[in-house]
Amino acid sequence: MPVFKNAEDLNRVMFALWDAIKADKSMSSQLLRSKLTISFIYREPDSRLTLDCSDGEQLKVYIGETNFKPAVEMFMKSDLAHDFWLGKVNIPLALISGKISSKGPVNVALALLPVIKPAFKIYPAIYQSNIVEENG
Amino acid sequence: MDPFVFHTPTKITFGQGVAASACDAIQEIPGCRIVLITDKQLLKTDLVNYLIAQWQAQNHICVFSDVLSDAHLTGVNEAVRLAKNEKCNAIIALGGGSVIDTAKVVNIILTLGGEALDHQGMNNLTSRLLPSVAIPTTAGTGAEVSLVAMIKDDIEGKKLLFGSPFLAADQAFLDPELIVSLPAGLTAATGMDAVTHCIEALVVEGTSSPITDCLALDALNRLFKHLPEAKKDGRNLEARSQTLVASTMAGMAFSSCGVGIVHALSHAIGGQFATHHGMTNAVLLPYGMRFNLGFATKRYAEMARYLKVSDKENDSVAAQKLIDSIENLISDLGLPKNLRSLSVPELDGEKLQQLVALASSDPAMIFNTRQATEKDIVKIYEDAY
Repeated sequence: MPVFKNAEDLNRVMFALWDAIKADKSMSSQLLRSKLTISFIYREPDSRLTLDCSDGEQLKVYIGETNFKPAVEMFMKSDLAHDFWLGKVNIPLALISGKISSKGPVNVALALLPVIKPAFKIYPAIYQSNIVEENG
Repeated sequence: MDPFVFHTPTKITFGQGVAASACDAIQEIPGCRIVLITDKQLLKTDLVNYLIAQWQAQNHICVFSDVLSDAHLTGVNEAVRLAKNEKCNAIIALGGGSVIDTAKVVNIILTLGGEALDHQGMNNLTSRLLPSVAIPTTAGTGAEVSLVAMIKDDIEGKKLLFGSPFLAADQAFLDPELIVSLPAGLTAATGMDAVTHCIEALVVEGTSSPITDCLALDALNRLFKHLPEAKKDGRNLEARSQTLVASTMAGMAFSSCGVGIVHALSHAIGGQFATHHGMTNAVLLPYGMRFNLGFATKRYAEMARYLKVSDKENDSVAAQKLIDSIENLISDLGLPKNLRSLSVPELDGEKLQQLVALASSDPAMIFNTRQATEKDIVKIYEDAY
């Protein structure tokens, strides 16, 4: 059974997570410095989340289509995204096995992995409060 | 045992003279029109001209030879233009890593349309590409079996990465006769590229497998035994054969498990200063190995024992002996030992920061067994200078 029962669940959790990352200066300042624009295209349930750090001042998060083309697009199952934020995904293996695919300069996104690692600690609580309580 | 993925879709044919039958592999396509991608140096050799004449006797072949020593986007675009004009529907790559990488990206554009930048990334190709054959003329890159291609964007000065199982050539012809005329310096440098593939594949984090270990370890042993001979006497077909096959085995290994910090640092230097990839790897390899030493002691010790450069010593001593033997090999091969010898200008200030940023964001870095900070990378570059 998928971790997220529908796109609304997925979007709510991811939006809350990125809100928390935005609020954490140690993570957000480094993300903003990258000026990266990146979309995560999720499957089962399907959704699209885009981060825009391009102005270097404000980290913007969009759900759904955007009116700009991101520099990088990452494609994966929603369950894999959940496992990633739990710190359970072997990223190199996921890339080699094709569980994660990408368009654009994926190296720029991969270089930011250490930056967002602290979010692994806050994700379980965010997931709990946005899924379990919401559905409970 | 940890989970792993191993993928190698290329049919490999080895033997003296096998390159002559390369066209047989693809000429069954109705109306087959082949674009042969090669380089100008190879076109000056009698053997390559003989091969092309043989192929052309039975096939429609157009030749693109403007591939530089570092595969460039301009070369890709020019080759695509030629192949489209000639309505080509199959590709033969005859050359070293740059030629084969160029052919891979040309194939993507011929098959899927658009421009190279539209297809940059990992695992994003959705269908099989045109039939392709790779014939390596160096023993080092493993590009004939690898699932990746790296092309330099001439305008942006960045390396573009393309990765997909569909990128692998359908067939690879390993013909030692084609390597015989490779100059001694290039034999040594490309061979050290293969040595680096083996060592990095054996210490990557989380992606290696018994299959990649087996390939990399055996290839490393063959290279240790035969690379010095191949360099000393280029006409020694047995030494050429051993290093050629070892290079392909190393390519199969790293394609399924990745490389590491040596390649990350080397790509950054090569991208900025157009240094030879194999030579840059040779310079950086001992420094990268020392950086990983505390995280790879057991693996290095296993390699040292397999290569018989260590016997009953403990892991720490054996691991150090492996690094010593790599340094000895580099000396024996007469390769440069520092970046200064590669004509890399003094590394400081903004230039050094730029290199560090490029190396940190190189995809090879995520496979490295030890995470490298910016400070670590600066230190390795400074030490290696």
